[in-house]
Amino acid sequence: MLEPTLITWMLIIFGLVFIFLPILYVQLLMVLRPQSQKTRDIIIGKGEDWADKTHFRMSYGAGWADIIIWLPLLAVGSIGVILGQVWGYALWAASGAISVYINIILWFSEREYVYPKCGPLAYYTYIWGFFIYWGVAVVVYTVLRLAGVTI
Amino acid sequence: MNILNKVIGRFPLGVWIAIAALLALFLGYGMQAYSLINWDSAVDLGLQNERFTGDAAERAWAKESWGVTIADMLWALPIGIVALIGILRKKLYGFAAGLMEFTIGVYFPIVFAFQRWPSYPETVILAIILWTIPSLLGIIGLWVNREYFEDNRIISKKDQRRN
Repeated sequence: MLEPTLITWMLIIFGLVFIFLPILYVQLLMVLRPQSQKTRDIIIGKGEDWADKTHFRMSYGAGWADIIIWLPLLAVGSIGVILGQVWGYALWAASGAISVYINIILWFSEREYVYPKCGPLAYYTYIWGFFIYWGVAVVVYTVLRLAGVTI
Repeated sequence: MNILNKVIGRFPLGVWIAIAALLALFLGYGMQAYSLINWDSAVDLGLQNERFTGDAAERAWAKESWGVTIADMLWALPIGIVALIGILRKKLYGFAAGLMEFTIGVYFPIVFAFQRWPSYPETVILAIILWTIPSLLGIIGLWVNREYFEDNRIISKKDQRRN
């Protein structure tokens, strides 16, 4: 058993509030109503439209993969971590690894369009930054816990 | 007992499969590394699809592919190396890093498939063969042997106490 500590709970709650719930909401909209104005308002910006077909397909692909792989891993992994199970930490860290991976890609493919619209504060926090910080933190924390370091 | 738990030489069969899957992924990373060094030549060889000199849509795809290549080199490859070292040393962090690596290997080809199936179906199939199938086999191989890694952790702690 790997008992949850204060830091474990902080990472789990942060993951639920700033990663899981917003992405679940956005990506459900993306896969269920990809062309609706509400989806476009949230993903691209108020009153904005897809730049082109390419832009739409990029978001659509990520939407499906997040719903099929990333979010279930995050949810099941978090439950496993709360239960103190090794497999929980492994799945949780896998979801953290995906979070970092896809956001490195977004840095190169979307930053030049997104950053000017939202500004540095939003971009480096809830738009993009939180996904990198949380993902790295979860991966490092898991490796430490599995190596026998309790923090 | 599952056949994947059967110990063959140093490791159970499932762990051997995970090691082979990691090596297959490294082959894909070799292609990505070559793309970073010479993008146009990689397009000529069919390792990448789009050039930065094409129309707006092609440039947009090229930017994303460039991002994938960087993410593979900066994040997925180092995790894969940690996984290989950890698995060879029978450590729990190797099991966890292996699952991280393999889930990335399943995740991104799914993004890719939903994005590019209408335009590049053959590349989607190649990505599934190179990344998804080895990754799924690696996940299965590691998952059925998770207790093998946990047991080794307990043994090593006992050894530490004895020493």
